Amino acid sequence: MKVHYNYLPQEFAETSAIFDEWRILIESSDFTLGFYVEEFEKEFAKFAGVKHCVATNNGTDALILALKSIGVGTNDEVITVTNSFYATAGAIVAVGAIPVLVDCDDRFQICPKAIQSAITKKTKAILPVHWGGASPAIETILELASTYNLEIIEDACMGIGGSVGGKHPGSFGRVSAFSMHPLKSLNVMGDGGMVVTNDSDLNDWMRKYRNHGMISRDTIEFWGVNMRLQPLQAIVAKQRLQVLDETISKRNRNAKYLDENLSKLSKYVQLPNRIDTNVETFALYMGLFENRDRLKKFLKENNVEVKIHYPKPLHIQPAAQKSCIMGEKLTNSEYQAERLLTLPVHQYLDIQHMKYVCETIFAFYGYEDG
Amino acid sequence: MRVDFVDLKARYEEEKKELNECINRVLAKGNLVLSKEVDELETDICNYTGSRYCVGLNSGTDALMIALWANGIGKGDEVIIPSISFFATVGAVVHVGATPRFCDVNADMNIDVEYAENLITDKTKAIMPVHWAGRTANMSKIKDLAKRHTLLVVEDSAQSMGGRYNGQHPGTFGIAGAISCHPLKNLNGLGDGGLLLTSTDEIYQKAKRYRNHGMVQRDKAEIFGINSRLDTINAEVIKFRLRGLDKVISKRNENVRLYRELLNIDEITFPVSACGSDIDTQVMFIVRAKHRDALKEYLKSKEIEALVYYGTPLHLHEATINLGDGPGSLPTSENICSEVLALPHNQTLTSDQINFVCSEIKNFYKR
Ligand SMILES: Cc1ncc(COP(=O)(O)O)c(C=O)c1O
Ligand SMILES: Cc1ncc(COP(=O)(O)O)c(C=O)c1O
Repeated sequence: MKVHYNYLPQEFAETSAIFDEWRILIESSDFTLGFYVEEFEKEFAKFAGVKHCVATNNGTDALILALKSIGVGTNDEVITVTNSFYATAGAIVAVGAIPVLVDCDDRFQICPKAIQSAITKKTKAILPVHWGGASPAIETILELASTYNLEIIEDACMGIGGSVGGKHPGSFGRVSAFSMHPLKSLNVMGDGGMVVTNDSDLNDWMRKYRNHGMISRDTIEFWGVNMRLQPLQAIVAKQRLQVLDETISKRNRNAKYLDENLSKLSKYVQLPNRIDTNVETFALYMGLFENRDRLKKFLKENNVEVKIHYPKPLHIQPAAQKSCIMGEKLTNSEYQAERLLTLPVHQYLDIQHMKYVCETIFAFYGYEDG
Repeated sequence: MRVDFVDLKARYEEEKKELNECINRVLAKGNLVLSKEVDELETDICNYTGSRYCVGLNSGTDALMIALWANGIGKGDEVIIPSISFFATVGAVVHVGATPRFCDVNADMNIDVEYAENLITDKTKAIMPVHWAGRTANMSKIKDLAKRHTLLVVEDSAQSMGGRYNGQHPGTFGIAGAISCHPLKNLNGLGDGGLLLTSTDEIYQKAKRYRNHGMVQRDKAEIFGINSRLDTINAEVIKFRLRGLDKVISKRNENVRLYRELLNIDEITFPVSACGSDIDTQVMFIVRAKHRDALKEYLKSKEIEALVYYGTPLHLHEATINLGDGPGSLPTSENICSEVLALPHNQTLTSDQINFVCSEIKNFYKR
């Protein structure tokens, strides 16, 4: 049996519905924002339970747009987590601000205590990440923000289709960003992203900034840039949104199987606690594994593709040395980076595949499942 | 007869089969992020333009922004730009934190190099000429000025793909050039796309990393970057269309010749190249017209779509008014903006349509 990490070939095997709509779009030649982008924005806002959605070229632009919309700029400090993708820090750097990288907890999520001890006079915002498609202790973070009068921008790039106590990730902060990169839970055929907010002024501002600051063809209100979602991708996003709940539930079914079986290996494998009232997207199914590198090799030899997200936390990257402030203690992220492994749980895999993955891991650790 | 400003539908009819093939080819491979198609396009663009390096990006605006960023231009720096251009020329400068200084233009609607010299201060880092409507700015003079004052030259060649000046392609004169592949450009995708041209290895390496999160490899980032990747589908479409670009441009030049021949009246004047470029791309056909607004309305009543590109020079927009000296400060730009009209113009326009537009313009002026 082969268990691939990448599911794009399967997803692309059935593109005729997308093609049909693409043909209509190409014939209409409405390639700059327009009908499909607007439709998608409305549908996603409804799906996420927020007032406004502004579709962007990608998740990184979404973060940049969100940061700029609330005026984060030169020399402002923004507290975020060190175990994230480059773009989380990259967006902060791109607006001229300084990422303050703090540690994560055992659930791989930003640690509220670490946030608190990193707050200074220069702190302007907290940027929690819904890492891997699970969610941080968002209520605690909201309280911190209100106590210290800080803004919250959620990096919910991996959180599309998840839930935190019945609410969609990204619906807590003042403004939040999502990614529709091909390996995200809602994915397009290239790049895509969006920002959501309940604040009408921010919505207005972001719509303009994303399209050169234009009010009309002849008038601009301020100078902006080009961060538009392509209509071709809006069509893909609209269609995939229809099946998103199904995608998430298949991923959860697979994850649950892994949770139940891998928890038998508590001596070697440490899984994050799941929170009953949340739904994770399982953009990444991560755990900590003893002898990780050897296990990875063994899985590969047995045709199970796995990944590491990531072998180095951001604060160890050369890029961070020049541009970031490091939190006091970043030991969890470093400990985890040595042991992390991401297993495939995508929607094109079924229980048979999961069973095979577990058996392979059992075999590696010499565990006999009774 | 109805004459639309652009007619992308007619173009689609011509290219239907090839476009479908492009999309099918890409989807069959299933790799949509910085795939081989983008590399191939970059090589093709280098061969076509003679540029040493090319980096495929998400838009022309991003190409300008990244060109500025990669040259270390940011807060406290000044960049000289012409006051006639699309908003993105200013937006890119402002986005990287620098200050635009608006420069008047010549009768050819391109930057007035003598005027630019007066704007230079010790904060001036770069001059960013725009090849407006695809007519190359006077690059010999600009390079000379830049040399004397050690300024960087970043070309906004968004509209110049396929042009030639002294045998050289626009966008390759300075340290970097930005090209837009927006659907309304001569070399266009099915959505946004942009290309950065550069002659130096340093700018190339920086831009290549910056567009993809600063990554050197999956596990290592030397700098933090952004996400500005040209997408695979558009790369494949643009690659296909590059092969027909010369034909598109020569058809557009034929249109322009016919327009000029037929519009031989005093009320209409044509900007001409002030520096004798070999090939202008004619992305737009912009004329200066007496009683412009009335003419535009008249044409509209005849189902002829003409557009004003643009009615307000960049230095007079509310968002910039504090940066310059206000109305009257850049007289040539201001005069031009009060008279410009872009006539319907694209490679699928027929000579019948052009005849019709011209005869209606003459009717308007009672000629
Ligand atoms: C946590 C996080 N933030 C930001 C991004 C950037 O999104 P994009 O790739 O759409 O620019 C990603 C995904 O790549 C991500 O996982
Ligand atoms: C002169 C000029 N500069 C910059 C741009 C921006 O390019 P894009 O639309 O690809 O972002 C354009 C085109 O829209 C342009 O005409």
